[in-house]
Amino acid sequence: MKTTYSHARALVAGAVFSFYATLSSAQTGGDARYQKLEDEVKALRQQMTAMQEQHTREMGELKALLLKQSGVTTTGAVAQAGSAAPPAVAPVTLYDSLKQSAETLVTQAGAGKGADLDLSVVLDTYFYHDTADEAGTLPNRMRGFRSAGESEGPENGFNLREVELGLSAEVDPYFRAWATVSVNEDSAGFEEAVMQTTSLPYGLTLSGGKIKSGVGRLNRQHSHVWDFLDAPLVYRAMFGEEGLSGDGVQLTWLAPTPFYLLFGTEVFNGDNEQSFNVSDADGMPSHDAPRLYTAFMKTGPDLGPNHALQFGLSGLSGRHQVWDEENEGGADGESRILGADFVYKYSAMRSHGEGDILVQGEYFYRDQDLDHTVAAWEGLPAWTAQQDGYYVQGLYGFLPRWRTGLRWDQVGLINDVTSPEEGDLSCGASYRLTSVLDWKLSEFSLLRLQAGRGWYATDDGREDAWECALEWQVTFGKHPAHDF
Amino acid sequence: MKRISLFLLAATCLTQAQAAGIKIVATTTDIADIARAVAGDTAEVSSITTGREDPHTLTAKPSFIVRARDADVWIRVGMELEVGWEPVILRDARNDRIRESAPGHIDASAHVIRLEVPTQRVTRDQGDVHPLGNPHYWLDPLNGRMIAATIAERLSALYPERKSDFEKNLHAFERDLDTHMFGAAWVEACGGDALWKALVEKRLDALAAEKGVAGKAGGWYAALLPHQGKTIVTYHRSWPYLAERFGLKADIQLEPKPGIPPSAKHLAEVVENVGARQAKVILQEPFYNTKAAEFVASKTGARVVIAPTMTGGSPEASSYLGMLDNVTGKLSAAL
Repeated sequence: MKTTYSHARALVAGAVFSFYATLSSAQTGGDARYQKLEDEVKALRQQMTAMQEQHTREMGELKALLLKQSGVTTTGAVAQAGSAAPPAVAPVTLYDSLKQSAETLVTQAGAGKGADLDLSVVLDTYFYHDTADEAGTLPNRMRGFRSAGESEGPENGFNLREVELGLSAEVDPYFRAWATVSVNEDSAGFEEAVMQTTSLPYGLTLSGGKIKSGVGRLNRQHSHVWDFLDAPLVYRAMFGEEGLSGDGVQLTWLAPTPFYLLFGTEVFNGDNEQSFNVSDADGMPSHDAPRLYTAFMKTGPDLGPNHALQFGLSGLSGRHQVWDEENEGGADGESRILGADFVYKYSAMRSHGEGDILVQGEYFYRDQDLDHTVAAWEGLPAWTAQQDGYYVQGLYGFLPRWRTGLRWDQVGLINDVTSPEEGDLSCGASYRLTSVLDWKLSEFSLLRLQAGRGWYATDDGREDAWECALEWQVTFGKHPAHDF
Repeated sequence: MKRISLFLLAATCLTQAQAAGIKIVATTTDIADIARAVAGDTAEVSSITTGREDPHTLTAKPSFIVRARDADVWIRVGMELEVGWEPVILRDARNDRIRESAPGHIDASAHVIRLEVPTQRVTRDQGDVHPLGNPHYWLDPLNGRMIAATIAERLSALYPERKSDFEKNLHAFERDLDTHMFGAAWVEACGGDALWKALVEKRLDALAAEKGVAGKAGGWYAALLPHQGKTIVTYHRSWPYLAERFGLKADIQLEPKPGIPPSAKHLAEVVENVGARQAKVILQEPFYNTKAAEFVASKTGARVVIAPTMTGGSPEASSYLGMLDNVTGKLSAAL
């Protein structure tokens, strides 16, 4: 900075001199003297210009040198240095020079990223009201689909559905992992805790841990991505509100076909209160895990940019036990489920889902043959059941971020249940029609109004009810991208 | 057993048939079009989006997964534009060649000039602010050049035997782009690199004068030159790169915050600003609703101009250069 200082001193000296010169010229006057003074001023001006030029050049060179040393070469620096500095300072090509400047910027921007662990939280709460005698219980009391466990529905009033805490990361070059902890008023536990291979050959992927089964369509999805607040009745009946998940392993294979074709198979310990239950009652035979095997496939043609279609088939087979606490009788045997699902999505190619259509449906058929009767039921005929259920839903984006839709639920079109003691239970069918209106304020928040009417066949006869709910859901943190 | 081996045979045949040329899958049409120019005829290039949809929100469809499965090279726009769907496609494609850390995964934003890189902590209260900067960088033709060079560089590393082809293609593309940008006379006299450098350093006129081609500018530059300093209103912050390159001001948005829909209160402010700054054009992409723009237009007399930001976004925008032709043409006609 010595240059700057001496330069400033010269400027001040020059200014003082010319001030005195002007003063003296005003006092004395006279052409010759005036001419002489003018010449002197001119000379001074020239001197100053030369000094200024020298200064600028020196500063430019200094800057270029500094930039060269720190390895930063911005386009601006090239411009300044370009006038005087030797061309060797500037990078060879335009691409290289811009590349360098971009790199410094990227490093700066990426510096705060920290460890590669994505953490996200979903808060999901809703206000619920239905007109049933015992609010929130009807879907759990459908005749023939009794749950082995204590499943409770929502209560009239505010319900905190869950606080879902999600963690995910790439573990190393071989595995990725994610875990989802779900906390609600009744319980807390791992919804999922999965490790998964990332680099098996031949399109194979192996997952292990606590897995949400890949059967059906809704089953794998977390409840906060469903299009309706609650699960369809057929899911309640076959797998329970939370769907089928468990400790086990899953192997999937993406076939090398020109269209999408995925096969998967799973082995689970098998403890699902609806369909693959193990009872701890005395006298009930115990079976070592694994007790549940599943297989599924998903496929879909490429229908162009506006459409997407996917079909799926699923099969499940596992051990199931029924224990009747009142009569102290039990039955043990096989439970099998077959399922089919489809989803069609239309994209209108407008922003935020305006004009988009979604149609989706799933069907499940369950066949239970529990021929090993024990305790009070010993010697009596087997517990058998053939039951099914389905749902179809459609949604339409009538404005950007706004959707409305309808869902039709039916359970027990086939509902033949034979109890060892009571014989044919003659169960009827249950129906439900639900409408929904949702508003995604942003990618991270949602308000949803849902209203419907259900017609249920329960153990106490037919019961009808109006059901409605207003849901408020937010997501924060870094939530992983959603599947198809 | 026989059936299984037949099936495996069929599977192997399929994989082999697919290995003929380099399969490049780009996330957007612009990147795909530039990649096509650089990779040449031997490569099979396709894109995930069509150019007509909003690239921020897309569903990871099964057909995308199949295409990613077969890809040798995957190119993304980057800067978190595809953050809502690219990870799912890459995960489900199970393709080691294009995993994010693999050489076959190219981030086209690696060497581009970035705008609006946040210097402060980003919160979602600010709307959809991308922490790595505004990702609509391909609308700066100079970045188009950088994308092409980035792709050429990586392809040359992946397929060294075709390096000279890629370089030849790159230079042809650059010359084509430069001619579109500055007109043939300037490119002939000054050379593309020198012109861009001069433009960045704001001494284009001096260069043209030095080379004796002053006043002979053509292309997009000449088309928008008379409009430098004018203000345009845009729906989303997708246009700053174009504005910056051509000396326009694009700081008024219909969205109050990025990704947040226009509110009545915000539109009232926009109307005031449009009047005060005499903005004549409201520019937005085809996939956005035009209600807000029409409202502002009716209050201020500004014109609504719908132009694509992506190749394939309108029939005229059939290539990257065609898209920029389309946009600059519409702008210069309306301003």
